[in-house]
Amino acid sequence: MEIRFFQVVVPLVALLFMANQALRYRRGRLNLGEALFSGLLWIGVALLAVFPDEISNFVAALFGFKSNTNAVLFLGLGILFYFQYRIYRLQVAQRRAITELNRQLALDRFEKAQAPS
Amino acid sequence: MPERLPITLILPAFNEARIIEQVIRDIRQVGNFRIVVIDDGSTDGTAAKVLAMGEQVVRHPLNRGAGAACQTGISLARKYGWPYLAFMDSDGQHFPEDLEGLITTMQAQQADLVIGSRFAGTQNQIPYLRRFFNTAANILTNSFCTHHYTDTQSGFRLLNQRAIAALDLLQDDFSYCSEMIILAERAKLKVAETPIRVRYTDYSVSKGQDFQVGLLTAFHFLWKLIFK
Repeated sequence: MEIRFFQVVVPLVALLFMANQALRYRRGRLNLGEALFSGLLWIGVALLAVFPDEISNFVAALFGFKSNTNAVLFLGLGILFYFQYRIYRLQVAQRRAITELNRQLALDRFEKAQAPS
Repeated sequence: MPERLPITLILPAFNEARIIEQVIRDIRQVGNFRIVVIDDGSTDGTAAKVLAMGEQVVRHPLNRGAGAACQTGISLARKYGWPYLAFMDSDGQHFPEDLEGLITTMQAQQADLVIGSRFAGTQNQIPYLRRFFNTAANILTNSFCTHHYTDTQSGFRLLNQRAIAALDLLQDDFSYCSEMIILAERAKLKVAETPIRVRYTDYSVSKGQDFQVGLLTAFHFLWKLIFK
């Protein structure tokens, strides 16, 4: 098997991030669930880098894509769309919170101005 | 002449220093209403002009939109127990004399929410593009309503206490116009329309929604309806 440059670099970077997350867990900055999820995520990234063709072909066959390239593109788009949706929902919630704070502040100031001095 | 109702007139305003004094003077000529301007984060001294005329102002520190301003008006009405609330645009588009028509309709039809319609029976000179966008907004809003309304985007409205108690607006932007009608129907309120006059000047047209804002408004409206 020919070893490509990214197949060395990406697993090394993944290992570094996993080590960092392990340290954060030890320092109590992450709970066990977060640490495990993070670890699995980086293991997944490393595996994808070491076996890119095998994994993408498997995913393509699983979802019925014509080729592994299509699988990567469309699944990537799907993941991006999902995160965009999550970000938009967060933004809507934050806008609402800012508006409520804004309104409450305005109403409080108005009430104070109306109070007899 | 309809029986005079104790109406509080809410004027949501954003950077209307140029015309707000004239609007208030026009209202005073019609009747002795309580006037409250909701200054939605203006930066042109709108609030100062209103205060100088001896009227009340609630100032939003940040500009949040017409919907947010209207909800502040509703919150005030709840807090101070105001029995009737009227909303009017601050850009000089509306004729305060038309409030009489809203009052008459509310009393005659026992309505909880009366909308002043620019398209119901009166021959208003409305710019073509404005008419087109309003028609599109009407189609969209009416598709979520059980009744058909001719002007779902009108900012000239009259609410009674039932409507004041029932309507919790969440939309910050102009989509509150549609949201208010849909919420009113869901709360089993009686919604009626009455013809009003409208005047479009270069100034008032510039204050309305443009195409991009209109699209975003429609998107926010649909998003909120679907995902709440």
